[in-house]
Amino acid sequence: MPGGEFSAPQRDYILACAGCHGIQGFSNPNLVPSLQGLVGYFLELPEGRAYLSRLPNVAFSTLSDERLAAVLNYMVFEIGGASAPVGTRPYAAAEVGELRKQPLTEVALSAYRRQLVETLILRYQAPVTLRGYGATTAP
Amino acid sequence: MSKSPIDKLGEQLTRRLAGYSSRRSFLARLGMALSATPVLPLLPVARASATDAPKTDFERYAQTTDPTKCNYWKYCASDGVLCSCCGGGSHTCPPGAEPSPISWIGTCVNPENGRSYVIAYRDCCGKPICSAGKSCFCDGGDRELPTYRSPLNNDIIWCFGKASASYHCSTAALLGLADAAHK
Repeated sequence: MPGGEFSAPQRDYILACAGCHGIQGFSNPNLVPSLQGLVGYFLELPEGRAYLSRLPNVAFSTLSDERLAAVLNYMVFEIGGASAPVGTRPYAAAEVGELRKQPLTEVALSAYRRQLVETLILRYQAPVTLRGYGATTAP
Repeated sequence: MSKSPIDKLGEQLTRRLAGYSSRRSFLARLGMALSATPVLPLLPVARASATDAPKTDFERYAQTTDPTKCNYWKYCASDGVLCSCCGGGSHTCPPGAEPSPISWIGTCVNPENGRSYVIAYRDCCGKPICSAGKSCFCDGGDRELPTYRSPLNNDIIWCFGKASASYHCSTAALLGLADAAHK
């Protein structure tokens, strides 16, 4: 919406994430995971909650822990919508500060994500559209 | 009780001072000093907090009327051929070219109101590079980061993922105000 005003976390999301993930969280899932109505499922699992903060482009962001936590919460609860489990506690700055010290740089990211996604589909009734990203590179 | 040498010296100095100065002259000098203070330059620290970031070279010469020129305000980080020189607009692709699925997003200052706006830079793809005049090849770099910070680098062609990844031209779409959250 040209001329519109954004909340602070929304603005940070747009400047740091939306180029690839889309302003509303809709993206071409062949290139980057689509977030809209989906990203919240990762918070069903402790590893999934950590995964979102430990992704290299998140962990290495130039934002402070406070602003990064606010962006993650905007992403999970606003863009993720109903996909975030009921009663999920928001990310805290200190939590994100600790998680980002362990960036996922030593794993095969697509395979790591696929493993989480399969668990979410199997045990938490996450939609199969979560598989979209990485589907073309799956063995 | 006899006075100490220090007391005597102090008394002498005070009496001498009182002898050749008046309260009025002191007040006059103090007043001058106080009123002259604002003329003195502020320390850099105070200046930095009093105003926003200093203008970039691009911002000094930016204009808001001609989107076919590199100094059009929304192109502050546009690197490539302007679609507005190739049959498209400042934020629309020319016929036959498709917008890239990925963009990079930055901010530019509108010189008319001095406010910062969020701009999405999107490439138009699927046709060979547009052969426009030299003046349409721009290289704005405001708030761009090096290639190893790829999401904020404008040297990358964002056409990958399309059926044809060939780059045609560049657009800059206005998304909204960037500075509102900090007011």
